[in-house]
Amino acid sequence: MIKTALVVDDSPTMRQMVAFTLTNAGFNVLEAEDGKDAVTKVAGGPKINIVVTDLNMPKMDGISLIKELRKMAAFKFTPILMLTTESAADKKQAGKDAGATGWIVKPFNPEVMLKIIAKVLPA
Amino acid sequence: MSNDFSQFQEAFFEEAGDHLAIVEEGLLALEQHPEDLDLLNKIFRSAHSIKGTSGMFGFNAVAQFTHKMETLLDLLRNGQKVVTLEIADLLLKSTDCLKTLIDAAKTGSPVDGDTVQRLTGELASASDLKVEAELKVKAEAKVEGGPSESSLTSALTSTFLIAWTPPEWLFQRGLDPLQIFKELANLGTLSQVAVDTSKLPELVAMDPEKCYLAWTMKLETAKDRQVVDAVFEFVREDSVLVIEQVKVEAKAKAKVEGGPSESSFTSALTSACEPGEPKPLGEILVETGIVSRETLNHALAQQKRVGQILIEQHAATPQQVEQALQKQKQQESASQSKKTDTASIRVDTAKIDKLINLVGELVITQSMLSDLGSRFEMSQISVLLERMAQLERNTREIQERVMGIRMLPIGTAFSRFPRLVRDLSARAGKKIQLVLSGEETELDKTVIESIGDPLTHLVRNSADHGLEPPEERLDNNKPELGTIRLNAFHEGGNICITVEDDGRGLNRDKILAKAVKQGLIAENEKLSDDQIWLLIFKPGFSTAEKVTDVSGRGVGMDVVKRNIEGLGGTVSIKTALGKGTVFTLKLPLTLAIIEGMTVRVGKDTYIVPLLSILESIQPKAEVMKTVIGKGELINVRSTYLPMMRLYDVFCLQPEYTDPTKAILLILETEGERVAVMVDEILGQQQVVIKSMEQNFRKVAGVAGATILGDGTVGFILDVRGLLEIARQGAPVAA
Repeated sequence: MIKTALVVDDSPTMRQMVAFTLTNAGFNVLEAEDGKDAVTKVAGGPKINIVVTDLNMPKMDGISLIKELRKMAAFKFTPILMLTTESAADKKQAGKDAGATGWIVKPFNPEVMLKIIAKVLPA
Repeated sequence: MSNDFSQFQEAFFEEAGDHLAIVEEGLLALEQHPEDLDLLNKIFRSAHSIKGTSGMFGFNAVAQFTHKMETLLDLLRNGQKVVTLEIADLLLKSTDCLKTLIDAAKTGSPVDGDTVQRLTGELASASDLKVEAELKVKAEAKVEGGPSESSLTSALTSTFLIAWTPPEWLFQRGLDPLQIFKELANLGTLSQVAVDTSKLPELVAMDPEKCYLAWTMKLETAKDRQVVDAVFEFVREDSVLVIEQVKVEAKAKAKVEGGPSESSFTSALTSACEPGEPKPLGEILVETGIVSRETLNHALAQQKRVGQILIEQHAATPQQVEQALQKQKQQESASQSKKTDTASIRVDTAKIDKLINLVGELVITQSMLSDLGSRFEMSQISVLLERMAQLERNTREIQERVMGIRMLPIGTAFSRFPRLVRDLSARAGKKIQLVLSGEETELDKTVIESIGDPLTHLVRNSADHGLEPPEERLDNNKPELGTIRLNAFHEGGNICITVEDDGRGLNRDKILAKAVKQGLIAENEKLSDDQIWLLIFKPGFSTAEKVTDVSGRGVGMDVVKRNIEGLGGTVSIKTALGKGTVFTLKLPLTLAIIEGMTVRVGKDTYIVPLLSILESIQPKAEVMKTVIGKGELINVRSTYLPMMRLYDVFCLQPEYTDPTKAILLILETEGERVAVMVDEILGQQQVVIKSMEQNFRKVAGVAGATILGDGTVGFILDVRGLLEIARQGAPVAA
């Protein structure tokens, strides 16, 4: 079955890169440009198997998005990965508290990203 | 290791440019509103975006520098530091520096290493030093941990005993214990997995969304401890986890390396440490201990260049080698400039959707027409006309939309001015505010890119010469704060951009005196005000008493005029002494289509750009004069203009050779006029310009070609080229 990934990042380049990698790995990708956009797009959308989200975003940041998603029945157990930078140790904890499954540290390459996704996403 | 992301570099540079603009604009606004947290957050987000994305492409210099800026911005937005003038200044300078770093990453242009160093230091000292030091230690620790991971990987097999009690809320973070077991099993042999169910409550008290289980297991693996630890990366800090290494056995190295269980992750790590290419001979000799490093370096220093060897063998002269080297250099720079030339444009998806819709409609119209054509009867002529009208509608709409794709808001060209005016006002010791309006006005991307420099010059001119120093303003009962206004708006098929200042205005007498001194006009020449204002566009003209480093060197205003006219536009001036000056630039919306007047000479049709036509007249015989050596002149309201017979210029067979029967078009460009004789004016229409250079070669007097309604080719006249021809007085064959 084709899996659907939700990619949330306000940087179009970053979003495209993540989406590109996932598409090549056989995912169906849904893109959103910030938390608010993501919440709108998942409502009534396809079943999401994994979420990859940036943290620093306008309108609704990644932490709030994770909290919002975890409140929804459809996202109760969905793996949610956040994109962080090496320096943001406090953000990692905040993300975990909000319900993030794990994190991908920027910069990363496609192999590392897919490896981390395989770690949390049931086959 | 190949990086699949490289194809996104172009997009990154474009995005980085946007972010830089946001940072710069934000910082400027921040000086006015230092407390604005939303603004700080916005700036921080943009810097953060540049840092994160540049790292993805390996632009480490950009990432590191942005990191320093980000650290300071973070302190500012957390309120740990306050925005002062010095900090704002430092951040602005850093933004400039970041710009050069990004350019360097893009085109390989040189970077001023000292500036980067100095600003990095300043940013660090402006930020909390403790935080910096901590991060550095962390980074170093990570580097140390790196190589050991891969070097220890292969030779040994270890046995680990693992006891894991996950947190109760494991599932609620989307984590699945099964995934962890699978990953462990991938590392080697997982055995003796036992589950501890002692914490499992009574069925009634059990929350099915919680994890009450704990496990113990044994893992035999060739990987080292860090790899095993990494499996638990996302849960380790919240679990009770004991990983005990009980046994280490040496095994044949080759077997482990070839083993199928080696994950792609580790292979990626090792391959990153391995050199991708075969080593040079010298390196191998040094490594195997046959020669020492010094001997090698010495030998390398004696090695000669191919060119030198060829010269010594008299196979080539030094000059030939030098020429070849220069050619090589040229080719290098050519290939580099080609690389930077690829331009991309970002288009709103809504625009594309609309376009696809329109193409759909066009297809429908086309199929209706071909259906009609296949069984056409004369009685259906009205239906045919109706369909043709529909086709025309579709075509026009598609044309407009496609043009729209190239249209960008002019705000992108305006965005550099707040910073410019800030710097100018600081340097000139004047208080200047910049008011922008009409930023949303759209025009062609090429036009936007080309008006940046002329606009910059006009704004500098206003700040430098237009606005008075504060004391002078106060003396004249004007507010101390001078204002420069930039406005853009549509007018007819054109776009108008005005640069307006409330300064001293142009001084009629000063300009006249200067023009006489420069020999641009005769001493007692009578000129209208408008003609006097246009004098400042003459090459070499400047009335500024003091030459500053920004303007007043006499180059510029003439360049402004030439640039704008090169784009098919015009510049005009309105001014009032003591009140201010307005420069108005009038530009076509696009360069691909011009509004033209079609004229006929004999059987041929030519197009004259409408903007350059002043008037058309049918002259009387007495206004015609012939001057030896200057050709024919015509007296239009007591001004003599050179007259050209278009049929002479292009060697055509005209209908009329008598000017009193033909029509004269008075054309103007760059203030010069010429009368061009044609047989008849046919009408006005929009024409799409096809380049002559690209399709044929450059032809004097012809700016381009277009396809006319009847399918034939019509030439568009180049008024400037015609003036050149008139000056030389010699007709040229087309």
